Amino acid sequence: MTLGVELLIIIPVAAALLSLAMPSGKTAAVVSVACSAAVILVSLPICIKALGGEATEYGLWYVDRLSAVFILVIGVVGLMSAMYSYGYLSRDVEEKEISSKDERQYHMMFNLFVAAMLSVCIVSSMGILWITIEITTLVSAFLVGFYRRNSALEATWKYLMICSVGITLGLVGITLMYASSSHVLGDDPGALNWPVLYEAAAGLDPTLIKMAFVFVIIGFGTKMGLVPMHTWLPDAHSQSPTPVSAMLSAALLNCALYAILRFQMIADVAVPGFASMLMIGFGMLSLAAAAAFILISKDIKRMLAYSSIEHMGIIAIGFGIGTPLAVFGALFHIIAHSMTKPLVFFSAGNVIQGYGTRDMDEVRGLRKTMPFTAFMLGAGTLAIVGLPPFSVFVGEITILSGAVSAGMYHVAALTVVFIVLVFAGFTRNIFKMMPGDVATGAKVPRGLSRSLPMALLLVITLLLGLFMPEGVSNALWSIADWFSGAV
Amino acid sequence: MDVVISGNLIDLCVVAMLLLSMLAMTTTRIAQLLNAFAVQSLFLAFLAFVVADSTGRSELYVLGAITLAVKVAGIPWAMKNTAVRLHAGREVDSTMGIPGSLLISAALIIVAYLVTEPLMATVDTITRNCLAMSMSVILIGLFMMVTRRKAMTEAVGLLMMENGLFLGIMSISYGMPLVVEIGIFFDVLMVAVIIGIFALRISRAFDTIDTSVLRRLKE
Amino acid sequence: MTCVILSLSQAALMIALSPLFAGILRKTKARMQHRVGSSVFQPYRDVAKLFRKSETVSKDASWLFRFIPYVCFGSMVLLSLMTPFVLADVAAPYGDLISMVYIFTLYRFMMVLGGLEGGSVFGGMGSSREMMMSVLIEPSLLLSLMALSGLTGGSTVMSDIPPALIGMGVIVLAPALVLAASSFFITLLAENARVPFDNPSTHLELTMVHEGMLIEYSGRGLGLMELSSMMRIMIFASMIGALFFPWGIALTSSPADLAVGVASMLLKVLMIMLAIAAIESYLAKYRLFRLPNLLTASFALSLLAMISLYIL
Repeated sequence: MTLGVELLIIIPVAAALLSLAMPSGKTAAVVSVACSAAVILVSLPICIKALGGEATEYGLWYVDRLSAVFILVIGVVGLMSAMYSYGYLSRDVEEKEISSKDERQYHMMFNLFVAAMLSVCIVSSMGILWITIEITTLVSAFLVGFYRRNSALEATWKYLMICSVGITLGLVGITLMYASSSHVLGDDPGALNWPVLYEAAAGLDPTLIKMAFVFVIIGFGTKMGLVPMHTWLPDAHSQSPTPVSAMLSAALLNCALYAILRFQMIADVAVPGFASMLMIGFGMLSLAAAAAFILISKDIKRMLAYSSIEHMGIIAIGFGIGTPLAVFGALFHIIAHSMTKPLVFFSAGNVIQGYGTRDMDEVRGLRKTMPFTAFMLGAGTLAIVGLPPFSVFVGEITILSGAVSAGMYHVAALTVVFIVLVFAGFTRNIFKMMPGDVATGAKVPRGLSRSLPMALLLVITLLLGLFMPEGVSNALWSIADWFSGAV
Repeated sequence: MDVVISGNLIDLCVVAMLLLSMLAMTTTRIAQLLNAFAVQSLFLAFLAFVVADSTGRSELYVLGAITLAVKVAGIPWAMKNTAVRLHAGREVDSTMGIPGSLLISAALIIVAYLVTEPLMATVDTITRNCLAMSMSVILIGLFMMVTRRKAMTEAVGLLMMENGLFLGIMSISYGMPLVVEIGIFFDVLMVAVIIGIFALRISRAFDTIDTSVLRRLKE
Repeated sequence: MTCVILSLSQAALMIALSPLFAGILRKTKARMQHRVGSSVFQPYRDVAKLFRKSETVSKDASWLFRFIPYVCFGSMVLLSLMTPFVLADVAAPYGDLISMVYIFTLYRFMMVLGGLEGGSVFGGMGSSREMMMSVLIEPSLLLSLMALSGLTGGSTVMSDIPPALIGMGVIVLAPALVLAASSFFITLLAENARVPFDNPSTHLELTMVHEGMLIEYSGRGLGLMELSSMMRIMIFASMIGALFFPWGIALTSSPADLAVGVASMLLKVLMIMLAIAAIESYLAKYRLFRLPNLLTASFALSLLAMISLYIL
């Protein structure tokens, strides 16, 4: 097999260079869309093979079932965001907020960002995994600071600093894990490769692994948005261009989660039960803090950012519980959240560009001013807070039943309480924007590039919630069994 | 080299690195701070050479050489130039007085010792006792990032943390595989460059690199 | 018996030589600043002159005021009796690190009282500044000596330390020793009112600490205080030589060893005096409010020395 996995990096990097060379911003956007589509096409055979249980491993690369889920999620989110970027940025260019050159630069960074995130999921060595995660920070910093407003610079600075510190602590964890393997693996140059470590996990030193996992969850948890290391997240999400916010929320956080999961799998073998406790603890803390902040939010994108923290918390709890049912729920929740959150972000982006404000108190009459956006925002809100027909509901209910069947009633009860709080805050904030007369002065954004990704995402999240394809379900169950079989 | 002497040299290098971290806490000017960082990196490089010599691991020579080129010469030089361009020379920028920060650093060393004590029993390298020191360097770097107010000094705190990290890597495992080490190195370099870029942008937007102006985003 | 004789002669040597070294210090400083400077024997003449003069005592002062110079001088003599400068086991069980620190504290406390006794403004100012500094000096002095005793096996008896250090061979160049010695050196500067903590050659009210406390003394009292100050710096310097870098100290009381011991001690003290002179020529006095920075640095150094004993 020549040039398989590498293509996942080569295509976006080539697209990045190409989009910089394009004559206009719009053609650069087309390049981005084409690139994301190509990435999905290329990744499909690899992922299907991996989901079938056959891992691809050669050179620096390693793709197994777990990576396949994340690669596909990143691919789809990238494609949707690329489409939405087309309309969103042309509007900014029309309003002279940015130049056409900025737009091309945006697409270059966008494609590099996709490349960096994909590379997180396909490398084998834990050390290189760290490097790729750091690269995602560096590349996305330019996207967060894309509007060179003072507030955007502030958000970027916090993002860079907090995530760099976090990731440095994460490297301490990787070092400790490497040290713990030196008894078993000696000076094997592949001693940092995940499959090798996982094979040898039972023989790793438990003290070192415990320390390592603490550092890893603090370090990568910063990037994943776990409370109390989350402080960069609302700022970065609210200040970046909306398609980038969607990417950060639905793809980047998952990359950090992916790294933590890889370590959790090793830690679960070496020190059973230790990682679960930390995951549930941090998850519950994130859920609680996010619920509180959603209640008092005024800025729509900040509220969505806290919602991301909430869902990351739920997912962490799911993986923390660790029974096959809960892990299945958490895996499904990753997909559900990543399909739903961009939908809400895109609707919010329309509102922001239409009304020229992010303050939810200033927006009235949304239903009459922009009926399509209002519908999408309403549907997206109901989906993201976990109402029945949508996929997020399925994820949440599976995790909860996993908690109950594992005997963790208090975890289940607390989770329900916080989810209800989030539900109340979220719906109150969103639905009070709906009624009222047509807003004067609102410039309604239109265009296929906006409505198509939103419609697609709504269909996906609805379909996943109503009936799950046999193949998806089987694949997720096999991962869940594999993941929790170690416990 | 004689085991005792190389052991002594390692100890002295590590303590010198820790001392320079504490010295950096007391600096009030960017040039002093960058000098402290450069000298600390010099000791790190020297340490890599000593460890390489006494364990016979030739890849550590490469690591030491890169440290010399990048951290002793490259980054401090570039940052000094940037500092001159930003007119960010002299004034004190710590939110905490010197005695206070020194005492907290000392407390952090004790914390680092307590944290790493259980680990020391589990590794068997000649440098394992540097572990507590490296953790201290990391924690002091973190503390510096928290208390400093200027973009540049925060960045130096981050770089010092990374020095501590390399020390830690060396002390418990004689260094990771070379590919990874070099990758991490260039990552650090990239971080420094990008932080420099954003420090420039901040100074243009706010007319200062004092990051205490960056307090507007909140609920 | 020989011990008592040796101990007495060591004390006599300290008393006799301390003005000489004070003179050497002043002379070197003058030469470094391109001045001719007074003779190295000038301190002897000064002390002799002061002893001949009559004493004036403030009418507000109590008996304590006259008493204090004798206590100060006595405590310095006591220290030079019990500290192993030339011979390692001089007055063996009595020379203890902790008692030594407290004799220094007694000296400082008495001097502070003396500054207050006179009832003058300068005396009070000097005393309060001295107390502010001593809060920071004392812990670092204690900690650096503790680190030293920890390095040599935990004994606080001073005569155990030099043989233990010499016996350790090259391992002794551990960070703990270097750190403790540098912390001790900063404490030396602070305790003896040298630049950058205090300027020994000025009587400017804004700056003086040590001289402020002596300002009410005259005649014999001042002579004694001056002499004990000179002895104090001499004791500190020879303690660095004897305890931190003990090579050359006499381990037995054979005449050849003793001769080497005397010579090496004089050499070490001379080196330290030269170092102090160099520092005083190239550094300016710090502002009073920056002094805590330096003293905390010294404290941090000694703490680090202590910690490195456990860590490394």
